[in-house]
Amino acid sequence: MSVLLDLQHVSVRYRSNPAGIFSVKDLLTTMAHPFQTKEILNDISFTLQQGESLGIVGRNGSGKSTLLRTIAGIIKPSKGQLTTNGSIAPILALGAGLEQELTGYENIRLLLSLYGRKINASSVEKIAAFSELDDTTLRQAVKCYSSGMLARLTFSISFSQHCDIFIIDEVLAVGDMGFQAKCMQKISDLKKDGRSVIFVSHFPDEVEKICENAILLEQGKLIYQGSSSAVCQEYKNLF
Amino acid sequence: MPFINQLYALSKRNVILRYKHSLIGFLWGFIKPFIYLLIFIVIFSAQFSSVKNYVLYATSGILFWFFFSNIVSQGIQSIIQASGIIKSVKLPALLFPMAEVTTELFNLALALMVYFIVMHWFGMVYTVNLIWLIPVLFIFSVFSFSIAILMAAFNVYFRDIGILWNTIQPAIFYLTPIAYTEDLIPEKFSWVIRLNPVYYFIKLFRYPLYDAAAPDMRLFIQCTGISALALCISLLIFYRLKNQFITAI
Repeated sequence: MSVLLDLQHVSVRYRSNPAGIFSVKDLLTTMAHPFQTKEILNDISFTLQQGESLGIVGRNGSGKSTLLRTIAGIIKPSKGQLTTNGSIAPILALGAGLEQELTGYENIRLLLSLYGRKINASSVEKIAAFSELDDTTLRQAVKCYSSGMLARLTFSISFSQHCDIFIIDEVLAVGDMGFQAKCMQKISDLKKDGRSVIFVSHFPDEVEKICENAILLEQGKLIYQGSSSAVCQEYKNLF
Repeated sequence: MPFINQLYALSKRNVILRYKHSLIGFLWGFIKPFIYLLIFIVIFSAQFSSVKNYVLYATSGILFWFFFSNIVSQGIQSIIQASGIIKSVKLPALLFPMAEVTTELFNLALALMVYFIVMHWFGMVYTVNLIWLIPVLFIFSVFSFSIAILMAAFNVYFRDIGILWNTIQPAIFYLTPIAYTEDLIPEKFSWVIRLNPVYYFIKLFRYPLYDAAAPDMRLFIQCTGISALALCISLLIFYRLKNQFITAI
């Protein structure tokens, strides 16, 4: 078993604008300093083994998405060390990266090329089949899609990748029961295949079902780490 | 080469998106310069009856002006508009303004095809010197790209930059000898024109297109210098600013 992902004391700082100063008028009337450095993630350390699936739970705004973006390499940590040994599939968030005006097919092709994959008829066909969206739907602009349809499309595109680590940011919730079951099946297939999954959700039951281990974030700090059932219990105790 | 594929995919998206839901689509790309040309002919051609082949003169300027101004206008917005993609896929931010350049190169290629045919009736001479268009276009693309990324980087933090560009764009247009000739400018104001970098490039384009001659080598080297300098400065500033992009878009 090799370590795919290793975070050592990772911190991420943002320059934020807490006073809400967006214009010269705001600046003159509030007389506050417009930018402050805000610590979004503070001293996070954990590892991800090959074939392991890790759940991330925490309140809204506790830094989950920032953590996922840091893992995916989109945000550079301002402190600490992040090592990845393996390819990471793009973040799966609802409708992430989809171009509203383009059709489903056009989006599949665009995203596949942006992910650096080769496109051919069969890869597009496979994604369309997995999403269970019909041909007419896929020829429509994505802006007309319902959130469940968006989830199907993003999920299918991301799952078509051959990557070592899959990052799933709450998308299961909006799909219908049939599709949720299909995704659960896909995730367990991936795990059997030796791939790792990082799963963010607000549903402790799902996290317990999918993940062996989990971490709990609170205000950018990792406050609890362990088996998913223990972490979910801890998470429920927050409220 | 994933980079080339990414660039191609983004440029294709730009071409599709630009004229989505429009009835005549990419024809609009021809109509805009054509309307400007008509205005110039109506207003200025009597004024400039001394200018040989006025239509050819004006068009050779208009085409490349729009090439430049489109790259800058769209390049400025390209990064903030791509916020969804930037937040979910690891991509170099420079890719987005770069895709605007390739999109415009594609549009310009279409326009030039029409231009080469139509300008036959307006006194265009076809010579080997037209080959010079390729290197000149290359350095002009680099220059346009540099201006675009510089403004795009600042525009992420201050959306005033986009508005500023829309405001000063007509001024720069009229400060460039596109519809009029250089000798129209009074001697004491000629330095104003010379401060405008676009002026040098438009002048350079007119050697092969209008005069059917090889470009003046000194001017060519000057323009290459302007492009290289602009690229260095812009890249330097862009790389300093890009780390915080994700917090601002």
